[in-house]
Amino acid sequence: MSRYFGWLLVAFLASVPLWMHDFYFLHVLITTGIFIIAAMSLNLLLGYTGQLSLGHVAFFGIGAYTSALVSLGFQIHVLPDFTIGLAPKPAWFAMLAAVAVAGLTGYAIGKLSFRVRGAYFVIVSISFAEVVRLVAVNWVELTQGPMALNNIPVLRLGAGPLELSFLRKPEFYLLVLAVAVVCYVVIARLVNSRAGRAMIALRENESLATSVGIDVTHYLVLATVVSAAIAGVAGALYAHYIRIVDPDIFLFIYTVTMVIMVITGGKGTLAGPIVGGALFGFVPEILRAMEIEPELQWVVYGVLMILVVYFLPRGIVPAIGGYFSGQKSGGTAEAATTAAEPVQK
Amino acid sequence: MDELFQHFLNAIILGGTYALLGIGLTLIFGIMRVVNFTHGELYAFGAYCMYALVMIFHVNFFLALALAMAMGILMGAALEMLLLNRLRGADIDTTMLVMIGAWIVMQNMEQFIWSGVALSINSPFPANPLVLGPLSVSWNRVYVFIIALALIGATYYLVNRTRLGKAMRATFQDRDTAALMGIRIDRIHTATFALGSGLAAAAGALLGPVFVVTPTMGDLAASKAFAIVILGGLGNITGATLGGFILAFVEELGAGYISSGYRDAMGFLLIILILLMRPTGLFAQKERIG
Amino acid sequence: MATAVFLTGFVVTGAYAQETIKIGVTQPLTGAFAASGNYVAQGAKIAEEEINQAGGVLGKKIQLITEDNKSNPTEAVSTVEKLITKDKVPVLIGAWSSTLTLAVMPKLEEYKVPMIVETSSSGKITTSGNPYIFRISPTSAMEAKAFQPLVKKMGIKKASFLYTNNDFGIGSANEYSNMLKTNGATVGVMETMDPKATDFSAQLAKIKASGSDTLFVTTAVEQLTLILKQAKEQQVKVRIISCGGSNSPDQLIEQAGDAANGSYHTAFFPPWFPEVTKNPEVSKRYMAEWKKRGHNVGGLTEGFRGFDGVYVAVAGIKAAGKAEPEAIRAALWGVTVKGIYGDIHFNKEGPAGKESGQNVPVVYLVTITNGKVVKTSF
Repeated sequence: MSRYFGWLLVAFLASVPLWMHDFYFLHVLITTGIFIIAAMSLNLLLGYTGQLSLGHVAFFGIGAYTSALVSLGFQIHVLPDFTIGLAPKPAWFAMLAAVAVAGLTGYAIGKLSFRVRGAYFVIVSISFAEVVRLVAVNWVELTQGPMALNNIPVLRLGAGPLELSFLRKPEFYLLVLAVAVVCYVVIARLVNSRAGRAMIALRENESLATSVGIDVTHYLVLATVVSAAIAGVAGALYAHYIRIVDPDIFLFIYTVTMVIMVITGGKGTLAGPIVGGALFGFVPEILRAMEIEPELQWVVYGVLMILVVYFLPRGIVPAIGGYFSGQKSGGTAEAATTAAEPVQK
Repeated sequence: MDELFQHFLNAIILGGTYALLGIGLTLIFGIMRVVNFTHGELYAFGAYCMYALVMIFHVNFFLALALAMAMGILMGAALEMLLLNRLRGADIDTTMLVMIGAWIVMQNMEQFIWSGVALSINSPFPANPLVLGPLSVSWNRVYVFIIALALIGATYYLVNRTRLGKAMRATFQDRDTAALMGIRIDRIHTATFALGSGLAAAAGALLGPVFVVTPTMGDLAASKAFAIVILGGLGNITGATLGGFILAFVEELGAGYISSGYRDAMGFLLIILILLMRPTGLFAQKERIG
Repeated sequence: MATAVFLTGFVVTGAYAQETIKIGVTQPLTGAFAASGNYVAQGAKIAEEEINQAGGVLGKKIQLITEDNKSNPTEAVSTVEKLITKDKVPVLIGAWSSTLTLAVMPKLEEYKVPMIVETSSSGKITTSGNPYIFRISPTSAMEAKAFQPLVKKMGIKKASFLYTNNDFGIGSANEYSNMLKTNGATVGVMETMDPKATDFSAQLAKIKASGSDTLFVTTAVEQLTLILKQAKEQQVKVRIISCGGSNSPDQLIEQAGDAANGSYHTAFFPPWFPEVTKNPEVSKRYMAEWKKRGHNVGGLTEGFRGFDGVYVAVAGIKAAGKAEPEAIRAALWGVTVKGIYGDIHFNKEGPAGKESGQNVPVVYLVTITNGKVVKTSF
């Protein structure tokens, strides 16, 4: 039954635009969907390789900027007399470019960052994200800095009478859904492959993994590249939906949002980011509709986070899975302790 | 040349407070391995306490500092006992998420109570600066520097020369053995977190009168604190102290001579460079993790 | 997920009671810009109640629906989506900062709903070819232009700049420095600061060493307070002029104390002498009500933006004769409102065929002497 559950869910979600005419709700689904894609990519690093990357928004932002710049065209001075330029390209090409550039950045940053682990890695990841943000702010010639890249073109596929334009909500929602499904499948395949098992091995006990011949750095970098590329796709979708990109896309709060989605949902599970994402994507909107003071909306959001993690420290999906298997739900401190002991994080 | 000396003087004064922030966090992040997102909020909490004590209750300025720090310690202890205690054995990112939740709650409660408008705290120091030839520095900052050094010294003494400090170091080096030796692990965890938070609150109470008090003031302070912890090596108090001064110098001179726009990036660039070359930070004695 | 569908469906049905005419307001009520956003919202509320007491518009009362955009562009877009698709507002006011406003502009075009821009200063907003934008606040270019005659009168020979590294600060610094150069002055150093920074010792040391006689600062009041204090601490003896209108001189006096004396500030509304404004009765009414509600006096210089915004929106509704977005949009071109910004009307700006509306507000320069704000003698 559970095999078909996934496809049933996708079919149900795909039918939403047919019966849901509330455009605001579709908007919430779209933005939540984009962040879920980013959360899934973070899950690969955080959940499957066990590396706490708090700079993930860097890849998201790089994807957004690349897609925006390639579809708008740009020109920069490399030397006082010498410029490099690119004429505007169609949006679909820009999005593919975004995936490539984000993946490449993932490769570079991965290779550099994985000289360190644990707490140091956390800080390095934050530092990279901050440096990328500052480059976006200060390299005005390329990125327009805080003046923002606006009027980003709408994604259009096909030509002439067959043209499909992704301006209206229903079409864009289906696009996000399609991309999300593709990314999910990619991640699922990766995680269930040899490479995926190697990643899980190094998450559980890195020295043991090395001793059996696993090239840890290689797999970490691989995970980072895939993770960055998927985050880049999310960023590109964002760019062509919101249609303005500025250095605020690197706001730390976006990384925090992704982290919340992954951990509350259940890191290291495929469904975790989706459940966590749905929950914490909708909660702010429900709070907004309840018309309580804005600051208190945030407080409720924060308290809810704490409660979820407190009572379900391993996340919602493992808790539900444990419940259905008849075991006690949630990880007790003891069980988590024994699991965590050998891994000196 | 005058400009250079002024930059130097500014850096030394700034370094003191940075060091204070860094030490507080190195105890929590470095020793307890908690990614403490509330560190900045304790800094802001200390500043708001100072505001309330000095401007609303008209408490003596110097006494208010001690009280603000005490309140920071209590707040830290409360956070630890309420939130972290149960998650003692959980993964680093689980506790981190709880800290993020606490951060969101604290910052928004501050805005709810005080509104987002910047508040200023009156200090008893003269407004005119202390002038040393072509250089000048405000009296307030000199006071902050002196107190910061005193607090750093006191912390150093506490951790390295008292029984409590010894118990702390023992607990985090090898928890099970420490427990076997009769150390109350729970109490040590609470005490360490409380101490780190108290130092952050003290830094906030000291700097509140120098700058202005806003609900988001903690965010920048926290990011600098994390930078300093890495520079100095996790859990290394001496390293954090030196790291604080180094960061201050790099920021001042970098902003002064390279680019002011990138001033706050200097810290991050420095971290990246150092970690690439010396993955354990400049002064760490511990092994590389993992 | 089903619960979410149910709950949001719940809220939809509430929007059908058309007893009031709704006006959407999107402002940063939490996050980095919360202080200013809340002031603007407060000013808007004053206007709402004044108008309703006078009978509303088109025989109905108005109702402001204010949403928090959390100082975050994605949220800004969400607020506009919600206001337009769920609350069905025919006109909006927002979104405070230029990046937030730019973020929502594509939505305005998609749904064809006009928005009154009450604060943002980036030139891009009115030159991007969006006919649904009607800005009542001045651009940095206008501000700099208004300052021109003062360059010679104040004897400015060499000026440096200290500004926040965002569209607000950069735009302002560029406009002013260009204006100075074409008016016989030279530019010293142009220093930036991170919008969250609190220590400017490095930048101030450079400015001190540059030999400038004047320093133009563009940032919000929190940083401005610190800059004034630190400039005094470091004995940077230059004449400081703050630009951009987010400078709240009352708050500066309260918090920077003596360090604020001798500084100059551009203002788009001078609450210390409302009699010099174009429409003093309006200014005085607003101020009286603000004080009556016990709002912070330092917020007068931000709140009036919301106040004027609501009056302009209502004028548009009245001129259109119905609460429909397209009619309001067309009608806004012809309205004149006696507001605190001055006599508000909209000129065409931007690419032909898709112009946005831009008002030309009055710009004032004030100075602080002995802890009080006074008119400059120029």
